[in-house]
Amino acid sequence: MIHHIRNKIYHVEVLPPKQDSEKLEKDLEIFSNKYLRVMDSGYCACVTDNAMGLLSFQGTEIIEELDLPVIPEQVMIHLNTFHTKDDLDNILNLCKTKGIMYLLIITGDGSERLPKLHPSDVGATDVESVTSVELLKYINREYPDTFVLGVAFNPYEPEEHELEKMERKIKAGATFIITQPLIERNEIVDRLLEKYPGIPVIVEAWMSRKLHLLSEAVGYEIPENTEFDPISTLKMLHKLYPGCGVYLSLLGFKTQYDLIKDTWV
Amino acid sequence: MKIVVCIKQVPATNDAKIDPETKRIIREGMKAILNPFDTYAVEEGVQLRDKFGGEVIALSMGPPKAEASLREAISVGVDRAILLSDRAFGGSDTWATSYVLAKAIEKIGDVDLVICGKQAIDGDTAQVGPGIAAHLDWLQATYVMAVEEISSSSIRVKRMHEDGYDICEMSLPAVITVVKDINIPRVPSLKGRLASNKCEIPVWKPDDINADTSKIGLNGSPTRVVKIQPPPPRHTSTKKIEGSSIECAQTLLRELKLRSIV
Repeated sequence: MIHHIRNKIYHVEVLPPKQDSEKLEKDLEIFSNKYLRVMDSGYCACVTDNAMGLLSFQGTEIIEELDLPVIPEQVMIHLNTFHTKDDLDNILNLCKTKGIMYLLIITGDGSERLPKLHPSDVGATDVESVTSVELLKYINREYPDTFVLGVAFNPYEPEEHELEKMERKIKAGATFIITQPLIERNEIVDRLLEKYPGIPVIVEAWMSRKLHLLSEAVGYEIPENTEFDPISTLKMLHKLYPGCGVYLSLLGFKTQYDLIKDTWV
Repeated sequence: MKIVVCIKQVPATNDAKIDPETKRIIREGMKAILNPFDTYAVEEGVQLRDKFGGEVIALSMGPPKAEASLREAISVGVDRAILLSDRAFGGSDTWATSYVLAKAIEKIGDVDLVICGKQAIDGDTAQVGPGIAAHLDWLQATYVMAVEEISSSSIRVKRMHEDGYDICEMSLPAVITVVKDINIPRVPSLKGRLASNKCEIPVWKPDDINADTSKIGLNGSPTRVVKIQPPPPRHTSTKKIEGSSIECAQTLLRELKLRSIV
């Protein structure tokens, strides 16, 4: 992952079509175009896993079905704990077969339609529910030396709790960290960087102007009239966190994509 | 084994509007979904087919757009689907609806098992499954939470009730209605969803199933809705818990335990 930061490789979020899409073929075409554009740019396409609990198709099945090329350094799949054991193994086996090596392991947002992994599914005996920690341990045990596993860090949660969780994630085998969206310097992220100087950290840049969604993501209310320019904020994050990579969430492929190539200097 | 799963397309929200004249739901302009309870029926049908072989067929009565729910059933593994759609079916109550479904099941022929969700979220009657069994003169078990054993001639099920559960054994053919404890419905795969978009779904009309027209639609519906009114509002109250975070958590836990919530 450090290679991504050194080579200024952006992590570009690509959202898969939703399960209830009424124009699935069109949505798949849009996904495919975005994915291929990220590949062509040399960036890393990061495919989400039922983000915000919204039922969507899996990144791996779309890559398989559409026969999209996988450049191992340029694809990251998000994987959360809301799957059946069979689905989990299918996703991991497909990742292995396709050469997808970067996985972002998150506990995830559930919904009524999403089954949650049981501790027994991942061989966990000392917990009542499966979190990213148990999932990390399972993947490292069942697929040794196959994947590069990352985890999420939320600086908007109580710091002590979040850092303690991070310690367990690192012990379970996480080798890189992606933060929740930052729109300014964050002291908790600064302390995370101090605590883990050897672990690559990627800060998330919020590229949408929809501040109500950002409020949902960060868990506190950002007034709608806040002046917010995503590209300027992105440039600022590069200055504030020069040793970090950047994850671009909700990037506008029509209006913003061509602008980002000049932002990481 | 030939299994028929009866499904219904229902309004997506609980804010359904009621026509003051007919007392029926105004379906125009509302987003529609597969009745959530029916997803368990579909999943059970697919699991039984996978285990014992045979065929699982989804059956629905409704307007042409109900085809979308049948496609959803196909996307999770149902082999084929049939839509019962005609103006003459409009206005059917649960008795007329179960008659139409029973006639379609007769036409499909050689059906071993009919599976329904325990009820639809729009009407909440839980009458259609038992109605089908009555029209077909088949045995039935409602509120089934597990299919324990099944052979070519009989089925043993575990059914829920307020005081526990019963184990029932019935000869086949039979009708069961299922509750959500029975399985975890799968989410459609992309491959399944794309395949379901290409499937032909036949539409059957009254003549196709030899339906007696006096038994369908409003004419065949003995139910009359005389009044509809919203339920009384629930009485809720808010209690503020004060103290340190640990004290608050302890108080909250105590309160939840007192109410048997945890």
